[in-house]
Amino acid sequence: MAAGSALLVGLVEEFVSGQQDSKAADTATGLKAGQFTILQLVEALGLHLASSQPQTRARGVQLLSNVLQQCHGDLTEREVDVLLAFYENRLKDHYVITPHVLKGMKALTKCSVLPPGSAVSILKSLFQDVHVQSLMLVERSCVYNILTQLMESRESELKGLGADFVFGFVQSVDGERDPRNLLLAFQIARKIIHGGYDLGKFTEELFEVTSCYFPIDFSPPPNDPHGITQEELILALRAVLTGTPRFAEFLLPLIIEKLDSDVQSAKVDSLQTLTACASVYEHKELAEFLPGLWASLRREVFQTASERVESAGLAALGALTACISRSVLNSDSEDYLNVFLDLVLKDCQHHLCEPDLKLVWPSAKLLQATSTASYRASHRVAAAIMPSLIEQYNSRTQVSHTSQLGHSISVSVDARQAVRQRCLTALAAVSSRPSVVQESTPVLLQVLTFSHTGMCTGSFSLEEVISVCHNLQRIAEHAQDTEETGRVFHDIIIPRLLGLALQAAMRDHPSPLVEESVLSAMVPVISTTCARLQSQLAGQTASRAVSLFLDGDMSFLPENAFPSQIQLLKQAGDSWRQSQMVCLLMGCVCSLPRSVEVPQMDRLLLELEELSCTCDHPFSYTSAAKCYAGLVNKRPAGESSSPVAKALLLRYHPLSTALTDKLFSLLSDSELGSLAADGFSLLMSDSPDVLNRGCNADVRIMYRQRFFTENSAKLVQGFNSAAQVLFILLPLLLEALSCPDQAVQLSTLSCLQPVLMDPPSALITHAKTLIFTQRFFCLSLSLSSQKVRIASLRCIHALSRFPEHEVRLGPGLVLRALAVPLDDLKRMVRNEAVVARNEWFLLGSPGGR
Amino acid sequence: FFNEQARLQTTEDEDEDVADPIDDREIFDILSVSINDPEHPLSLEELNVVEQVRVRVDDQENTVGVEFTPTIPHCSMATLIGLSIKVKLLRSLPERFKIDVHITPGTHTSEDAVNKQLADKERVAAALENSQLLEVVNQCLISNARTS
Repeated sequence: MAAGSALLVGLVEEFVSGQQDSKAADTATGLKAGQFTILQLVEALGLHLASSQPQTRARGVQLLSNVLQQCHGDLTEREVDVLLAFYENRLKDHYVITPHVLKGMKALTKCSVLPPGSAVSILKSLFQDVHVQSLMLVERSCVYNILTQLMESRESELKGLGADFVFGFVQSVDGERDPRNLLLAFQIARKIIHGGYDLGKFTEELFEVTSCYFPIDFSPPPNDPHGITQEELILALRAVLTGTPRFAEFLLPLIIEKLDSDVQSAKVDSLQTLTACASVYEHKELAEFLPGLWASLRREVFQTASERVESAGLAALGALTACISRSVLNSDSEDYLNVFLDLVLKDCQHHLCEPDLKLVWPSAKLLQATSTASYRASHRVAAAIMPSLIEQYNSRTQVSHTSQLGHSISVSVDARQAVRQRCLTALAAVSSRPSVVQESTPVLLQVLTFSHTGMCTGSFSLEEVISVCHNLQRIAEHAQDTEETGRVFHDIIIPRLLGLALQAAMRDHPSPLVEESVLSAMVPVISTTCARLQSQLAGQTASRAVSLFLDGDMSFLPENAFPSQIQLLKQAGDSWRQSQMVCLLMGCVCSLPRSVEVPQMDRLLLELEELSCTCDHPFSYTSAAKCYAGLVNKRPAGESSSPVAKALLLRYHPLSTALTDKLFSLLSDSELGSLAADGFSLLMSDSPDVLNRGCNADVRIMYRQRFFTENSAKLVQGFNSAAQVLFILLPLLLEALSCPDQAVQLSTLSCLQPVLMDPPSALITHAKTLIFTQRFFCLSLSLSSQKVRIASLRCIHALSRFPEHEVRLGPGLVLRALAVPLDDLKRMVRNEAVVARNEWFLLGSPGGR
Repeated sequence: FFNEQARLQTTEDEDEDVADPIDDREIFDILSVSINDPEHPLSLEELNVVEQVRVRVDDQENTVGVEFTPTIPHCSMATLIGLSIKVKLLRSLPERFKIDVHITPGTHTSEDAVNKQLADKERVAAALENSQLLEVVNQCLISNARTS
């Protein structure tokens, strides 16, 4: 192509001799146009490339390289091969030529047709013939770019170089100062580490050549056109340093050393680097450095004036703990996590208990950092510190931060149910001061809300919800009665409880808050609050509750997303979920102090009476009846209202006798008998939620005694009635015997003894006799009244008269047991014991009965 | 014969906190009320086989001694009576007591032999395992209805 070559020669001349740089572009254009080939260009340059003047040679290479930059995509493999050989050769040439050689090589490395083996030879020549750090900035960049390019396109070939590659790189980078180049270098290093290149014996060298820049301290010049930030450099370097566990033995001591620095950014960088490597390392890398790391971390958190440092330190501690928690236990190795946590606890735990409060907070934060790292850690830390927390609470030192600690542990996401529950219980235990109450109760309420809305990754079981209610009640019981605490309970907690319960009742989908057990657990929270805390606020709560239940007034509830009409005291069809809420009403109005009046009492009583009579949901009507009874009990005497036996009995109202007689007469009724007997049970038992002193109810003393002394005879008469009545009455009698009141015991025993001497056949069953015998024996040993002991021994004597086959009590046992009252203090008791025991000896003995 | 009057109750007896020591009368009452002479319709007390004066008890020292007087010197039931007394006391007294039952000296021809038997614990235990013997003893001890 003569025309092409003429053109070419012209272009070359103009560029090289004529110093016209623009001709390079024209040459490239011509090449692309196919007017000549690259090799023809080389040929045309031949003279200049062989010139004795370095500048001339440089100019020649420059033209070639410029053209290559444009046209490297169009070359054939053969052409690339030739050019590479030329360029590699040129690397040995005068230094003034080198920049252009490198440029050209860089262009060539981008060729996709790079022949196999070229990558290796390029690098070999580079590392051999070029001292990178002597080059200018741009040339150095060029070298790094070559490396980067080759790593990208010819990875396996480079790996074939083995450790020499790493060594070559290390030598090239050693002493680099320019931030742009450093970024490139760090990226190469990172690729080396992550790409699986063989580090050989140059691990430490690689580490050193990069770590010498740690921690990065770089202030970009103003108006820096390149926009490199310190942050970029830090992150790039960090990626290198933390990239492989093989660096651990070098990196960790470095971190410890740099943590000592006074420069805050250095500390933060070190801590963040530590956090990063902990996520990559395993325990074995950390093991020997743990004490040193812990000492530094502890120092940083204890002494810090900077929040950045503190939070970085805590994060690092968490990462370390998480790393160790991941370690797999051998059967014969120690539990590394426990060893580490022991170290931490040893240094932190005692601060929680010291009177010097300065270190409490940092210690608490450190412990929190470890406990949130993993389930195992949280378990161990909670187990260790809960006793100290409680102990500290008991010794009445500053508790607010310990409750914060408990708070944060309790909401740590990984905590499983048992840990959670213990934390919540401990939280309740320490919550007696108003400030603590304000912090701890929201946590408990949160659990309730989550359990209802289902908004939590770990679901809450019924037991947990009930336990939360117990804890709230505990707090209500023990908290100091201040206005603050009162407001928390009356203005926040009770409305929230009522609101949640109402929400659950109105919706269709399942919620723990419609379970009877949960509602029953809520009641004591409310009743304890109303009984104990701030009677004026209690009155307010009562009014609000009455308005809610009678008139559907929901204005005081926290979330007002309810349908407009609700009627909680009416049961229609399937609305048991709503009617059973009456137990919460009971909590609000039946435990109020005497001074507080319940508004709309008459209307309330009317509706409650109707609900208890017409409703068919057992829990609802029982709660309604209890509520009714509780209200009636508090009315002044002389008011006429339809009587409820117990309420009246408790006040010894004259009408009560008529009522109890009625109950007695019902005993023999085949249908109602068992209900009547249940009624008696209810009369005699201590109802925990309504009618007892704890609820400020009007309890006249000795009501039970009165009842029994007046009615024992009738009870025993009942024995002669039908068998099923007997069956029902026996538990009642047993309960009378269990009553701590001696007069009751005595009268019951006295009534029983003649019956036992001549028992109706229905009475005699083995099981019942056994229970009664046990009771008699207990009473025979009673420390207080000899009359009771005598009476019980007489009953035991009477039992010996039962037909032998029915007794089956093991006379041996009875005889041994009777040996004790033989030595009673009082003679009259001994006399009875002698009689009874001798009778029992004769039982089943030859010649005896 | 005379029946001792029923023991009178004192105010101290009613007092819960005062301990009543076990005294001779108490032991005597144990024995007198309910042991029958197998050959007589009357009780041992009524027959003066046992008398209060011949009962010695020491509550502090945990010892009880009872001398009994068989109705006639050749009474063939002496051993049985003695055994019954012993058994009654065993059944009626706290375990801590050491019980000594013997014939009033000079009132029985074989008193040495009988005393020796009554003092021998192993023999007494063996005797009580003999069901026929036990039957007879029990029949002596069947209490009458209380009259108090």
